[in-house]
Amino acid sequence: MARGEAGGRVKSANALVVNEVTKQFGNHVAVERVSFTVPRGVAYGILGPNGAGKSTTLRMITDIIAPDHGTITVLDGLKPGAESAPYIGYLPEERGLYPKMRVIDMIEFMGELRGLSRAESKKRAGTWLDRLGLSQWTKNKVQDLSKGMQQKVQFATALIHEPALVILDEPWSGLDPINSEVLRDVVDEIRKAGRTVLFSTHVMEQAEKVCDAVCIIARGKKVLDGKLRDIKRASALDGLIAIEVADEIARDKAEVVIQDRALVAEKRPPLAGDHADYEVRLADGATPPQLLAAFVTAGVALRRFEIVTPTLHQIFVAKVGDSAAVAERRPDESDEIEETA
Amino acid sequence: MKTVRDTFVIARRELLERVKSKWFVAMTLLGPVFMVAMIVIPALIASKSVVGAKVEIVDRSGALGEQIAAELRGMRWIPKIVPPETSYETSKNRIRDNEINGFIVIPKHALEGEFIIYEGDNGSSQIVAMMLEESVRKVVQGERGRRAGISPDTLDKLLARPNFLSQLNTGSTKATSGLAAFFVGYILSFILYMVITLYGVAVMRSVVQEKTSRVMELMVAAVKPRSLMAGKILGVGAAGLVQVSVWLTMGAITLAYRNELLGLFGVTGAGPTLPALELAEIAVVLAYFIIGFFFYAAMYAAVGAMVSSEQETQQVQMPVTMLLVIGVLCFQVISSDPRGTASTVMTMVPFWSPLLMPMRYVLGGASLGEVALSLGILILSTALVVRAAAKIYRVGVLMYGKRPSLREMVRWLRY
Repeated sequence: MARGEAGGRVKSANALVVNEVTKQFGNHVAVERVSFTVPRGVAYGILGPNGAGKSTTLRMITDIIAPDHGTITVLDGLKPGAESAPYIGYLPEERGLYPKMRVIDMIEFMGELRGLSRAESKKRAGTWLDRLGLSQWTKNKVQDLSKGMQQKVQFATALIHEPALVILDEPWSGLDPINSEVLRDVVDEIRKAGRTVLFSTHVMEQAEKVCDAVCIIARGKKVLDGKLRDIKRASALDGLIAIEVADEIARDKAEVVIQDRALVAEKRPPLAGDHADYEVRLADGATPPQLLAAFVTAGVALRRFEIVTPTLHQIFVAKVGDSAAVAERRPDESDEIEETA
Repeated sequence: MKTVRDTFVIARRELLERVKSKWFVAMTLLGPVFMVAMIVIPALIASKSVVGAKVEIVDRSGALGEQIAAELRGMRWIPKIVPPETSYETSKNRIRDNEINGFIVIPKHALEGEFIIYEGDNGSSQIVAMMLEESVRKVVQGERGRRAGISPDTLDKLLARPNFLSQLNTGSTKATSGLAAFFVGYILSFILYMVITLYGVAVMRSVVQEKTSRVMELMVAAVKPRSLMAGKILGVGAAGLVQVSVWLTMGAITLAYRNELLGLFGVTGAGPTLPALELAEIAVVLAYFIIGFFFYAAMYAAVGAMVSSEQETQQVQMPVTMLLVIGVLCFQVISSDPRGTASTVMTMVPFWSPLLMPMRYVLGGASLGEVALSLGILILSTALVVRAAAKIYRVGVLMYGKRPSLREMVRWLRY
């Protein structure tokens, strides 16, 4: 079979189509009728609290477990498993390498298992180690490396065969800020090369910086999905404006403007995580420029006047707050290893 | 095709990881030295303890004491004849006080069959018992002959051992010494048993290591569990076979030049000659050795797939070890009746055929047709066990820290 685009198959614009997928462990439904589509060339995040079913979903895509219902289509009509394995790179949530193997051999070995020839694999392993700043550790055993360095080696094992679809399960967990930056660069580069990155995370700040599109799931069910920009626009809090004033005098002047019920319906404290003085909701029929004009006329010294778009974190909390709270109480449990009884 | 390639890539990794380790090299070269030491050192120590023992002889027969003392001196013991009225208590106390090693009491009617008794701190030694019995027999029989007026020459002739030989003949082979054939079969099967327990456990550990090092999710995403299992069995197995071949080669060279080697230590004369094996016999032995090994390696891999930590393996591997031990205990069944029903059945069952069939064939109890059938069953069973191990392993991916119940395991096998 030819690499990438197999002959005779319909070339698909999508890197992954997950359709109505359900997985049950005993009485516990880990994933329930989840559907989403990942276009090619994007960074796609699966977001959700602990225990939401993120890892289970990724494991079904990599054919570690089989879904009870539903279908998964990888790239150009490939099924999960042997036929798609050469085109997928995977970083499992359970990080593990062979501790007694030399670093370069470990990467080379995974490259070979993903279909590269030994010589090619060796060459690329060397390149990756240089790239990740591990070239002086090439001949060391994996067990001699620090945890952070091992994690970098793991990225290399997932990326060495230049897979069309890269799947990273919680890639930022355990990374320091510098290595997080390295990882973001790598993700960017993959996307620029027209390849696709699918990752799961519960760290919304990271997702917001990296994702083109997301799928939020909680308690095994999809809450929403789509392009990040669209989601943000859709959740833009109607007519909400964050305001920061320069000083006490400005505050008093502003207060007069805000009292005008024709312009402002409500004044309230800012959303969590925002450092504005307060937020105001526009009255029906009023527009932001009208309010701004009123401020200017009144001579209010403004430091900030901003139409509020919620952060991904705020959207996430708003949408899955309850289930997140439930999940927080048992943070130790990994995604879906529940009682299988 | 990817499956087959993956299997070999994994096997290569397992083999290299082992062969490159310093311990492997050291054990391969030093293994035979340890084994020889294991046999020779205890024997040396045992034989040392036999020399120089101080014994007292309480002779109440008045006829045998001096002669037995002479025999003991021949054994390089230090005998001393003490008065016949010496009490048992006295002698016992002298042992307790470390003045003597033991004492022999020759009763008044020893020549008529009353027991001659030796008691001593080395009395539990087989060698001591045998040597003393031999000496006492010689002295008593000599004295009896002398009293009956038989000349020593005539007595020797009377007492000379008749020569008798029991030989194995199943109609298919030429008659050979049953004992020698038994030993060849026995040794081969025993080596196989050792190799299985050594490397089968290595396969098991290798499978468990995937879980403890948490690398298995990475592996299962990249390859089929069956390739992974087959690769591990092949790789670890190959490392084991490398080691065993080195050992056997060293052993064979030692055997071939044993007279020269013994000469170096000042021992002359040929040791017992081993019966030569025919080509067909060597082929059968090797086939069972290799396939039998892989069968049990697969069994141990399945055990490894069931557990999630090294500690747990101890209990779960018991059934497999028991099956092996049953095979070893049944060596006798084969050697005493290689053509019997019990032998025929046992050499068809894959758990025991690797251990028992080589012996049965060498003893001439099985036809090549039977060997082919039994090998076929063994190969098929190996494939089935590898499949089962892979299935258990695959589901076990999600079972960190929890061992499946029997019921769950049966369900997984159908999955």
